[in-house]
Amino acid sequence: MKAPASTSRPSLGSLLLKKQQRPFLGIDKQRAIRLFFASNSSVAIIVLVLIMLFLLREGMDFLPTYRHELETYRRAGLEFCDIINRPLAEHQALCSKLRRAASASLNTLTHTARTRRDAAYELMREVEEETRLQRAILSDALAQIPAASPEKLTRLRQEMRAATTLAAARLQTPAALTPEEGRRLQRELTLLNPEVPELPPLLAALSADYIRVDREAHATFKPLVDAVEAFEAAPDALHTLLDAMKKHARETKAHVTELHGSGKEPSHSKPVDFDLSIVPLTSGITELTAKVEEYTLLAQKTADTMPAAAGTPQAVALLAEMRARLPDHLAAMRQAAASLPAWSHSKPVSYLEVAIAFFLGDAWITNSSWQDFFGFVPLLTGSVLIALIAVLIATPFSVIAAIYTNQFASEREQEFIKPVIEFIQAIPSVVLGFIGISLLGDAIKGVSEWGWLQWIPSFPIQERLNMFNAACLLALMAVPTMYSLAEDALNNVPRSYLDASDALGATKLQTVFRVIVPAAKSGIAAAVLLGMGRVIGETMVVLLVAGNRIAIPDFSAGPGVVFQPAHTLTGIIAQELGEVSRGSAHWQALFMVGIVLFLISLLVNWCARAFVRRFELAKS
Amino acid sequence: MAAETSVPASEEPLIQVEKFNYAYGDHQVLFDVDLNMHSKDVLALIGPSGCGKSTLIRSINRINDLVESARVVSGSIKIDGVDLYASNVDVINLRRNVGMVFQKYNPFPRSIFENAVYGLRVAGIKDRHDLEEAAERSLKSAALWDEVKDRLHEMATGLSGGQQQRLCIARAIALQPRILLMDEPCAALDPIATARIEELILQLRGQYTFVIVTHNMEQAKRIADRTAFFYKGKLIEEDDTMTIFNHPNDPLTESYITGRLA
Ligand SMILES: Nc1ncnc2c1ncn2[C@@H]1O[C@H](COP(=O)(O)OP(=O)(O)O)[C@@H](O)[C@H]1O
Ligand SMILES: [Mg+2]
Repeated sequence: MKAPASTSRPSLGSLLLKKQQRPFLGIDKQRAIRLFFASNSSVAIIVLVLIMLFLLREGMDFLPTYRHELETYRRAGLEFCDIINRPLAEHQALCSKLRRAASASLNTLTHTARTRRDAAYELMREVEEETRLQRAILSDALAQIPAASPEKLTRLRQEMRAATTLAAARLQTPAALTPEEGRRLQRELTLLNPEVPELPPLLAALSADYIRVDREAHATFKPLVDAVEAFEAAPDALHTLLDAMKKHARETKAHVTELHGSGKEPSHSKPVDFDLSIVPLTSGITELTAKVEEYTLLAQKTADTMPAAAGTPQAVALLAEMRARLPDHLAAMRQAAASLPAWSHSKPVSYLEVAIAFFLGDAWITNSSWQDFFGFVPLLTGSVLIALIAVLIATPFSVIAAIYTNQFASEREQEFIKPVIEFIQAIPSVVLGFIGISLLGDAIKGVSEWGWLQWIPSFPIQERLNMFNAACLLALMAVPTMYSLAEDALNNVPRSYLDASDALGATKLQTVFRVIVPAAKSGIAAAVLLGMGRVIGETMVVLLVAGNRIAIPDFSAGPGVVFQPAHTLTGIIAQELGEVSRGSAHWQALFMVGIVLFLISLLVNWCARAFVRRFELAKS
Repeated sequence: MAAETSVPASEEPLIQVEKFNYAYGDHQVLFDVDLNMHSKDVLALIGPSGCGKSTLIRSINRINDLVESARVVSGSIKIDGVDLYASNVDVINLRRNVGMVFQKYNPFPRSIFENAVYGLRVAGIKDRHDLEEAAERSLKSAALWDEVKDRLHEMATGLSGGQQQRLCIARAIALQPRILLMDEPCAALDPIATARIEELILQLRGQYTFVIVTHNMEQAKRIADRTAFFYKGKLIEEDDTMTIFNHPNDPLTESYITGRLA
């Protein structure tokens, strides 16, 4: 039916067609609006891509730069020296074992005499401390150039005497001294006076006694002590030769870097002729090999003549360990010497070698007068170990807290607990850092000294700042993230599961652990992973608290490894980036570390998302 | 199809609801309900939405304890003479003996087998052989065995809706309860699945005491021995299913079953 012509209503057909719109910059309005919103949301993506590109650009230059450095390291012959130098480090480790064994043995004989002497010294020091003021006045008066009046000196002497008497009377006789000796010392100490340079007679006697005992001990353990000295001296000749070679290599390198540093125009001055400069080193191979051989023979001989007996079981064990490790060390030395002729300064450094030196390198050494190494493994192990411990600590806390609030807590408790846990996030990490330094460090060290905890490996601990300390604080930082996400996951478990479980006669605890937690487990796993991501990326706390020792933790300590200090990926960037010059190999190495850190975070997040996706699939 | 009266009126009722008043917070939803249910009977509860049917059956196994605001105002529910809301009642044992099937089938996201034996597991039964036997017995009773016997260890959530609901019934009867409460067990199912559930109830009748909430009059007529009509929290009348549908006493009942009540 047609609309009457008189009405102004448009025909139905015309309404159905799209209205012709005036295009805006050639785009129609709907599209423009769409584009506007799309562009806003894509800003985030673009920024992310830009960050990645920037990181990559700075970091990727690292490989060629580092390659160049390693090439110089080889050309100049530093690598040559390190072939021998590196295995020689074990000699130091063995020496320290021997020294410990020797001093433990000597200690068995000298211990009593030394404690007696030290106890007496301690008493004297106490008296001196108590009478410090009077001593100072008297010494001043004595030193005065127009000499002080005799009356005044007498008075001061009297005061001094009174003070020492008072101080000596208050002394307690330590356990190492007999009461008789204590009384005698007290008497002698009352005479303590800056005018009398000699020690109190008893103290002098104790001192002499100790010296005598010490001499006797050295005589008793003469074979051991001699062996230690001989072993220490064994590589002396080798060291002399090696040091000369190292000096030469370092000079060549310095020459190269100088040329490079001065305006990048090596054409001005003569380029270094590596073929020539390497000759002093390569021509010394026979001598070096001979010296190595000499060292191995000498070391073997001292080890053979070394007595197996020592003063304490611990010392015997140390000796045995040294003996066990020696053959490997000597073999390594010989092998190193044998590999010398095959070494060539002109062999090019491949990118694979560079990548291995970075990703599998076990040393991060910078600003070295010898050679910088950018090995990534110590930092990675530090970061990963700390993150793992932190997550291990944080997971039970946050998951149990989440279960409690979600399943057991009354509404009022929930209203209290949730904001409090989420508040932890508001603590600035630097504040946590100094809690770690000032409070937690001492607390952990203190606890580690408790007698009944000594069964824990590596207790008592040496360092206040260590991975465990940092991990505790990081755990605290991870708890809010993990708690919230775990709570969400638990909340997402359909209520009908609860009803069903209850209706089948399950107790609350059974329902929680047989139905709710399993149903939420992917979500909880994602929470744990995201907590891990949070922890790996955290910087301030680890920088302040982890102890910043750049070395691969000594895993032979077993679980006690967690009480060692370490450095981290994040910490090293924060610490060193401000101090290096832009564009240097060190700077680029830090960017490389940044890239890897970025990739690790990406991976962790991706895994967490995968878990959540699986969880959602299972639910639908 | 008429259900015959199977229980002599003289026998002591199994469930006695006496002057039961129930509220969620300040909102009272059941008023002075008096109702007796006899052993081995099938009792249907009908009435418009919101009249308190679910509340009543959820009070029988005390699953409503989970609802924080829910409380008994006065009156009592007794099973075998024991007041369910007395302090000496062991709720866990009550629920083991009074099974429940919900409107929306809700198997756990685990294997069919684990679902079937969940109640036994939480009751502390660990013996693999006992569990397997019980699973087979209850799945057979729920007429599900033939369909699932080859995939007992697959996820229960992969079954069809009707199968999932029958699994829920199997899960409930694995504990060999005396009473089975069903809150609109077919409301989420298609007619064919519904027919299978009804068939199942007819098969199981005589072994358990059923209390079934339903919106479907025809279903009530088909399966129930007795029917109780609720309106606005009050029990209007309860009688033989035939009597309720053919000669209702109360005009309200009549208008409801003839569809004149909103
Ligand atoms: N968990 C609850 N909290 C508060 N009120 C509820 C709750 N469950 C049901 N009610 C109320 O109780 C009344 C009865 O509900 P219900 O027993 O579910 O009725 P029916 O199953 O007959 O439809 C309704 O008014 C409903 O709003
Ligand atoms: Mg209902």
